[in-house]
Amino acid sequence: MLAACSGNGQGLDAGGRPLPSGGTVGGALTADFDSIQQHVFTPICTACHAGGGAPQGLRLDAVNSYALLVGVSSNEVSSLLRVKAGDPDNSYLIQKLEGHAPVGAQMPFGGPPLPAATIAVIRQWVSDGALRSPVAVASARFALTAAVPGMRDLVLEPPLRIVLEFSQELDVTRLDASSVHVARVSVDGSLQPVPVTLTIPAGDPRALVITPMSAFVAGRYRATTGGANATALAGIATGLAPAAGGGETVVCEFDVVAER
Amino acid sequence: MRCATPRWLALLALVLCAPASAEPYLALQTGYKCVACHLNPTGGGLRSAFGTVFSENVLPQFTLPAGAPVWGGRLLDRLALGADLRTSWERASTPNVGSQGDSGLRQLRVYADLALIAERLDVYLDESVAPGRARELEWYARLNDTHTGLYLKAGQFYLPFGWRLQDASAIVREISGIGMTVPDKGIEIGLERPAWSAQVDFTDGTVNAGGGSGHQVTGQLVWVQSRFRLGSAASFSHSAGGDRRVGGVFAGVRTGPVAWLGEVDLVRDEGFSEGERRLVAALAEADWAVHRGHNLKLTAEFFDPDRRIAQDQKTRWSLVYEWTPVPFVQLRSGIRRYRGIPQNDTDNRRVVFVELHAFL
Repeated sequence: MLAACSGNGQGLDAGGRPLPSGGTVGGALTADFDSIQQHVFTPICTACHAGGGAPQGLRLDAVNSYALLVGVSSNEVSSLLRVKAGDPDNSYLIQKLEGHAPVGAQMPFGGPPLPAATIAVIRQWVSDGALRSPVAVASARFALTAAVPGMRDLVLEPPLRIVLEFSQELDVTRLDASSVHVARVSVDGSLQPVPVTLTIPAGDPRALVITPMSAFVAGRYRATTGGANATALAGIATGLAPAAGGGETVVCEFDVVAER
Repeated sequence: MRCATPRWLALLALVLCAPASAEPYLALQTGYKCVACHLNPTGGGLRSAFGTVFSENVLPQFTLPAGAPVWGGRLLDRLALGADLRTSWERASTPNVGSQGDSGLRQLRVYADLALIAERLDVYLDESVAPGRARELEWYARLNDTHTGLYLKAGQFYLPFGWRLQDASAIVREISGIGMTVPDKGIEIGLERPAWSAQVDFTDGTVNAGGGSGHQVTGQLVWVQSRFRLGSAASFSHSAGGDRRVGGVFAGVRTGPVAWLGEVDLVRDEGFSEGERRLVAALAEADWAVHRGHNLKLTAEFFDPDRRIAQDQKTRWSLVYEWTPVPFVQLRSGIRRYRGIPQNDTDNRRVVFVELHAFL
């Protein structure tokens, strides 16, 4: 009976979050940060290490994990960095995964240890300098990789903010009020602009946080980038497919069911 | 066959190790409050003299022969000592990963309580000896007023919230963020009356362990009757990661040889990158005292990690058999079945385990 209560996962990624518009999952685990995030941190570690209650304040969701891991001292053993670039043996993350950390239980807590092959890949990433996806940064074109809420999401309560994640770091000097537009979509299809503030978190220069100046209410919302007056975010429009018939690109559209 | 002597058992405990927190179902089956068997009013850790006698004479299938030396839990009149050891073997079968075996010492802890002023002022220590380097888990001073039932605890300790389950991986313990894995620093004001138990805690916050700035306020109220108990708990924590509110209700009742436990926790967490999430965790447990020293435990757990997202729920079933053959030694074996979204292999694993738990 209770087993029937488990979700079927339709439309979700391995971490239980809505799939980004046009996003894909899969592929083998490789020794780069994005792959490790997708295959290890998000589906396994964020079961506990997420939100305001994350143990040791270590949040391993896609927005926070890199900034809280690489070059950051461990809380439990302050003389060790969680990830010491180039030195897996002295990286607390590796010690916790391998089960020989001087303090506390082996991770993942309460679950089976990660397979040796998986830990080996993470070791390789640390040995390679613990870079934030150097290949992707160097070669991939600028693109939206995730949006929360995502395209066609149905959210029961108004989100406090919209978070967009891009494939490359954003140029904060290019950020202005015209970079992203948010509008409430009326029943007749007309758009009512929603004033927002835009910020790039210090710990994640690839993320753009869009905060409404007044709370979202019930209804449909659409966020767009580009347009004739946009100054663009590192050439943001060039990496995103424009919406049909217009110069702007819809990056997310969601429905809010009820007001907070 | 000659039964084990306390000295032999003490040696076993020190050699093998395991954590000795009694399960709350025992409190339900006996009608006792936690403080009846533990020096800590909120349960767990070092046993009281009564708890030690209970462990020797009531809990196990076979007791010590008449005239055998009795371990009373004390070395000196004012110094109580204890230890807790847990070692286990487990095998996890995960889709697309295969089977993984894992075994070893999970925990070895030693406890001490020194009554500086008899029945008035105690200092308590709970030290983890292994695995890893030794470290203090709990250390606090406790000022008691036996007349009113009030007490004040100051130092580092585990917070009270819901059923204090032995299984630290229980969903309600992981999701509430309050269990017996991460202690917190601060003060606790408590009240122990015959039918009531209440605590209010002002602490740094378990999430801020190790240097983060913030605070946490936790409260719990439990109504205890001989056949049932009903409790509620709430917690608010503030940290750099975001504010978090947790509320829970829990209850238990005894029907013949079966003790039933239930808990529902609701979490409002503002620490997620997209904003607030509301989480729900629930537990239902039945403990059947099959025979003296034997317990069959069936647990069903449910977790909704984000109420706004459909079809992301997880469940966990556990069937565990506990056998306490002789005083201070328990063998546990069981199977846990995890169910979650099919694209997450770890959330669909099956775990079989055998555990040796020895305690003093």
